[in-house]
Amino acid sequence: MKKIFIGIFVIAFSVVFLLAISNSVDLFTYNDSLSSDSVSNGYINKNVTKNQSEVIFNETTDAETGSANIVTSIIVNYRSFDTLGEVTVLFLSAIGVSLLFGSTGKLAERKKSGFILRTAARIIFPMLLVTGTYLFTHGHLTPGGGFPGGAMIAASFLLLYLADEKFVTAIEKIKLVEGSAGTLYVLIGITGLVTGGYFLANFIPTGTVGQLISSGIIPLIYVLIGLKVGAEITSVVSRYLQEEVTS
Amino acid sequence: MNNPVLLIVIPLLLAFLSVIIKKAGKWLLLVGLLFNTALAFFITTGETIIGGFAPPYGINLVVDQFTLVGVILINTLMLITIVVSFDLVGKYSIVLLTALAGINGMLLTGDLFNLFVFMEITVIAAYILSAQAKKYHHTITYLVIGSVGSVLYLLGIILLYNLTGSLNMADVAAKLPLLTTKELLVPVLLIFIGIGVEVKLMPVSGWVKGVYSNANRLIAPLFASVIAGTALFVFGKLFVSVLPVSDTLTLLMLIMSVMTFVFGEFAAFNQKRVKNILLYSSIGQAGLVTALFISGLVYAAVILLISNVISKLIMFTIAGAFTEKYETDDYESLNGVFVHNKFTGIAFTIAALSMAGIPLLIGFYAKLNILIGFFQAQNYVLPAIILLMAIVEGAYIIKLLLALWAPGKEGQVSEKSFAVEKKQLLSVKNTIICLIVALVIIAGGVLIDITEKVVTDGQPLLGDQSPSFTISQSKGGE
Amino acid sequence: MIRVASLLLLMIGLYGLLSTRNVIKMIISINIMELGVNIFIVSIGFVTNGVAPILTSQVNSSLSNFVDPLPQALVLTSIVIGLGITALGLAFARKLYKKYGTYDLAKIGGMKDE
Repeated sequence: MKKIFIGIFVIAFSVVFLLAISNSVDLFTYNDSLSSDSVSNGYINKNVTKNQSEVIFNETTDAETGSANIVTSIIVNYRSFDTLGEVTVLFLSAIGVSLLFGSTGKLAERKKSGFILRTAARIIFPMLLVTGTYLFTHGHLTPGGGFPGGAMIAASFLLLYLADEKFVTAIEKIKLVEGSAGTLYVLIGITGLVTGGYFLANFIPTGTVGQLISSGIIPLIYVLIGLKVGAEITSVVSRYLQEEVTS
Repeated sequence: MNNPVLLIVIPLLLAFLSVIIKKAGKWLLLVGLLFNTALAFFITTGETIIGGFAPPYGINLVVDQFTLVGVILINTLMLITIVVSFDLVGKYSIVLLTALAGINGMLLTGDLFNLFVFMEITVIAAYILSAQAKKYHHTITYLVIGSVGSVLYLLGIILLYNLTGSLNMADVAAKLPLLTTKELLVPVLLIFIGIGVEVKLMPVSGWVKGVYSNANRLIAPLFASVIAGTALFVFGKLFVSVLPVSDTLTLLMLIMSVMTFVFGEFAAFNQKRVKNILLYSSIGQAGLVTALFISGLVYAAVILLISNVISKLIMFTIAGAFTEKYETDDYESLNGVFVHNKFTGIAFTIAALSMAGIPLLIGFYAKLNILIGFFQAQNYVLPAIILLMAIVEGAYIIKLLLALWAPGKEGQVSEKSFAVEKKQLLSVKNTIICLIVALVIIAGGVLIDITEKVVTDGQPLLGDQSPSFTISQSKGGE
Repeated sequence: MIRVASLLLLMIGLYGLLSTRNVIKMIISINIMELGVNIFIVSIGFVTNGVAPILTSQVNSSLSNFVDPLPQALVLTSIVIGLGITALGLAFARKLYKKYGTYDLAKIGGMKDE
């Protein structure tokens, strides 16, 4: 009965909310092109600091950010501070999970897995690892980047956990990767502050848009993010699994 | 090297480092706190661009006089809180360092989305810290309400982005006058509610009781003065300088704030536990501060905010010590506790009296400013409510102080007619720190002119036109 | 249309939060709300006939009709933050379950000697 009342309330509230919000945003029609006063125009044409009207793939050199993937250029260059914060959020929740579960987790006997499953997992594991690495090293050229790449690395470890009952990750080593990747990220930022005058400023030539070796500090930071995210999610996953078997 | 970005980055760096160097965690926390507090005094007003991309494209940190007061106050308070309860830090040093970074980020950032990110950092740190209490199922309530708040805030800023094409606070503020009230209604209300969760505004403050009342000597003052203070500073920045909106919306938000104020003060009156009294009083005061910000009385709001967080720091620390030493903070079973701990009692009393608005203390000056401000603005409804609530507030504070000072109580027989046994509440070091903080409350009230000069530096806060009123000024006007 | 659908997801999440006291279900509800907002954010950047904002050998000029890249960058941050909160919330839920033997907050609240 209570649920019906809540349901009626929420439906009524939805109607009011949708009507109210339709004053602020057009709910049914979309723009034909980007509005001219949006800051995104600057990101797309890479003309925030430099005066240029067009970026051409494989031709433009020394742009203010050399990433062919515009979303990446926003994440790692224009709004890099957000990304530092985002990495910190993940770091914090990994710390929180490990504080909550404590370090008592000894793996109890898991169900023995079959030979085929174990072998297949061992074959797929390096493939996942390589794909994850590919994703974060090519983040400035293709869809992907540090976060999906890191998640894929964590997934590869999860696979080993599920498929092999003897597999245990060394959490201490993971913590080391996590801490040093974070430290290096901040240090890159401080290097930018010292050399360029701005925190997280780009201090490496950006090269030609579309080349693998291009876009300054983006690949560097994305590798660090990839490692850090991979380490963090792996540590969260392993904490959960240890918790699962000990409880 | 007095770049304000270091206030955020150095604690983060130390947090990452303390994962590698595990044993040094506590000391790195101390280094970070000392560094931040020292640096906060050297920050100058201005704009700092991050990444080399000028706003609105990039993210910037904005330091104005208002933020400067916030940064100095909050960093110092956090240092004091943690130094007082350094023995309770334990394994939470990394979380506290990240919280320090998040708090400074919230205060400094000039970008709406960046504010969201730093708010999440602070809030997640707060979730983890609140789980230190034994009854941590309240943390789930906090986590749920907090997440809903951030979702609503995010929806609000994305609607603003859709309307203005920008996320930078100054840029958004410049473009807002072109928009109608109708268009702004939903985004501004969503942002209001989203921030309101941390500010502890009424409909979304359901988490406060469970979390605050079970927090210990470290966490309670950290939440009540450091994090709540930060949230209020952010609220002021957003609703005075970024989203100053039309009358309809202002009225709506004002009603919510005043309701929070009235509810908080009345609820505090009905409580038996010291922490509950304090937490409801925090809710009430937060409501008053937001009401002042919305009415545009920035200077009065800042003074009230400062006096309130300093008082709450002392009072929550001592209330935490009650639970620690006597396993209860019900004031009826703590009769005469301050007779054993005179100096602790004096610090607590000064803080409480300042909150009640006794002359010569900074709280009195804060209240006076509010009333004069409203009278000059020809507003007589709010002062009436504030005066009425001041009586309620005074009543429960006097009741509380009498109970804590008066030894023994009829029918309660115990050693030498004291209702509680003799125990040292705070160590000598902590008592001295509390007394020094209490001295600041007195000094801030007695030397009003200096207080005003320190807070405003001779300029109107947030470019606000409402003048600040010192006693000398108002006398001159009569 | 997708905007209405995403806001309805938000409301479904809200209904979930209001109607249940089960910790796991509450965390799922929060996730649904976050999902709704995330879809809404991406839909804000949508441009009719727009292409993904990546320069490639096919779409080789920045003058192409790109969709708005900024909401996509924001949504990544939002997703990661959501992930962090979910991980933490589930850890709390596990701890609670170990202590009280139930996921029901109403029951846990009743168990306490407040």
